[in-house]
Amino acid sequence: MVKITVDGREIEVAGDTMLLPALIEAGIHVPHYCWHPKLSIDGSCRMCQVEVEGSPKLVIACNTPVREGMVVRTDSPRVINARRGVMELLLVNHPIDCPICDKAGECLLQDYSYNFGTRQSRTEEPRRKLEKRKDIGPRMILDQERCILCRRCVRFCREITKTNELAVFNMGDRSVLDVLPDTPLANDYSMNTADICPVGALETKDFHHKLRVWFLKKTPSVCPSCSNGCNITIQHYRNQIWRLMPRRNDAVNDTWMCDHGRLNYAFAHDTERLRLPMLRRGDKLEPCGWDDAVNRVTEALRNAAKRGAPERIALLASAHFTNEELYLLGQLARVLELRHVDVPVVVGTGDGFLIQPEKAANFTGARELGLAPRNGGRDVAGILELARTGQLDVLYVCGADIARLFETSVWQEALRAVPTVVVQDLFTEPLGRFAHVLLPSLSWAEKSGTFTNRKRRVQQIHRALDPPEGQLSDGEIFARILAQLVEGDWRFEPAAVFAKLCAEFPAFSGLSFTRLGLHGEQLGV
Amino acid sequence: MATRTVTVQRPAPMDAPQGVVRSGAAVLKGMWIASRHFWRNFWGFVRGKPTVFTVQYPEERLQQPPAFRGMPVLVQMENGKERCVACGLCEWACPTDCITIYPAETDDEIERYPRVFDIDMSRCMFCGLCEEACPEEAIVMSHRVEIAAFSRRGTVWHKEDLLVPLRELETTRFPHIRRTYESPAAE
Repeated sequence: MVKITVDGREIEVAGDTMLLPALIEAGIHVPHYCWHPKLSIDGSCRMCQVEVEGSPKLVIACNTPVREGMVVRTDSPRVINARRGVMELLLVNHPIDCPICDKAGECLLQDYSYNFGTRQSRTEEPRRKLEKRKDIGPRMILDQERCILCRRCVRFCREITKTNELAVFNMGDRSVLDVLPDTPLANDYSMNTADICPVGALETKDFHHKLRVWFLKKTPSVCPSCSNGCNITIQHYRNQIWRLMPRRNDAVNDTWMCDHGRLNYAFAHDTERLRLPMLRRGDKLEPCGWDDAVNRVTEALRNAAKRGAPERIALLASAHFTNEELYLLGQLARVLELRHVDVPVVVGTGDGFLIQPEKAANFTGARELGLAPRNGGRDVAGILELARTGQLDVLYVCGADIARLFETSVWQEALRAVPTVVVQDLFTEPLGRFAHVLLPSLSWAEKSGTFTNRKRRVQQIHRALDPPEGQLSDGEIFARILAQLVEGDWRFEPAAVFAKLCAEFPAFSGLSFTRLGLHGEQLGV
Repeated sequence: MATRTVTVQRPAPMDAPQGVVRSGAAVLKGMWIASRHFWRNFWGFVRGKPTVFTVQYPEERLQQPPAFRGMPVLVQMENGKERCVACGLCEWACPTDCITIYPAETDDEIERYPRVFDIDMSRCMFCGLCEEACPEEAIVMSHRVEIAAFSRRGTVWHKEDLLVPLRELETTRFPHIRRTYESPAAE
């Protein structure tokens, strides 16, 4: 730690950093465009200039190492004048099409122009005409006129994805950002360039002309698409998700997320979503009340268990459930002494960076909570085999994304042979049509709780969208079933259930929602 | 809680004869005023110079001053399209949240237009903040006031209904907007 003086105030900062991150750490705002905490230093925007005593010229804070006794001024007339000059130069060729720019409202050029710039333009010359709306990849478009050449995106493609699609061509006032010939910006992380772009030059096609950003409400959450558990912000409005954006967490995803995870949200507000529980009457599924559906499930479970054969019941839980819901399912398995319990997970490909092979957020949580075949129970393949050969009375399947694990014919043959099939899912397809009881589930955006990522970090998700009036959450469904089977306080209140869970499982001991906060906590051994 | 009592001096109740005289006088006074107007108007009508101020709406209409704020409308340009680029500033400025916009992209030079532009006139309070927020002079307070409808759904005006030709607005509201928002004093 070294002591430096900033604007007459003495502060202590880490000794081995540059001045700009040290100032930001100390809560002193210095405007900057090209500097980014997770990228190398470029020093091209000249916006972070500050006055350092003993230095004849202003220095850029992002590339000046901190040293003991440094005296820095961030608000002297020279600094303010320099910033105003930089802003004026950046705006000389900027098209100022803020009314139609998706970045407006979260644009650093707007903010700094308002705070540090001049009100009037002094140029009469026409602005530079460049390519607008350039299609540079499957998910990105580029507006060259808006670019201020900070090169954050260029460094991102060079240093983070190491794919080098973007570059600045030509020199001086003819510099222009573009993709290399025949190299579309198509890597798995391309949409991060829109996040780090301080202006509206790089925009995602997904959010292009969709909504002004100031309408968006922001709810911190965790990406549900794989087991990495990238921290995200769900940005929603009118009870609909408009985009997901990464949220900084240095222990998990820095400031990035993959394109697949970012685009995987439309299912949450799909109009085809299952909204009412359904019961099979003849060969048709008909909507019914919640009590009827839950009673039917309980009855089937009780009858099967009464015959003294818990091995005639099988439970396939979903790795998309929160820890709290899985805990209740664990209780259900314990109460009924189930042996055939499995939490299958779809395994795809990972890339060693953020994308992990397990395509569900909480499969580690399920393992931690002991949801696995026990006492000689079977796994998912075994359970389907039991079902096919008529050895099951009840099969409870949650989360139909596991349908991808086997051919449809395999599922069909197995589920047709079971007297009571309970399916709990977001949609009727692909497994719902075989169900006798079909229970609607909630998406991750509609519930609160915790996920455990594959590195055993427990992180919180928060409710962003309001579920339809009267719909039970998955946890409430399990709580109702449990309440009918055994005496006890089975209300589903995520924080309270998490507290119970923490008391029962040593790895979770000492945790609480408050302690998890925004960035989560590592599980104990 | 402490209460404060104020004693009000009320006039003493009138006895019967006095009350009859006073109220009778008031009735006669009222009849005098009404009949005075009737005879004056009748005389004017007979002479061919009516003195009434009543406007025979809807056959007759008054011309509103430029500062008059009627219903907000969208400016329609010569090519028949709206001037609006769906920037959403009016939606944001609206204190009653009566504007709903869904933007979309076109191949025109100005790449953005409102796919949906709805104003719920039953919520609009004619404050004119949308007009003030608009960077394109695309939504203006017209002099139109006929917004009655037979159902709640009918009070929601869609983009096609809201379009008003530029020419009509040039003579009515535009002079006022330019004087107010574009003069250096307004800065």
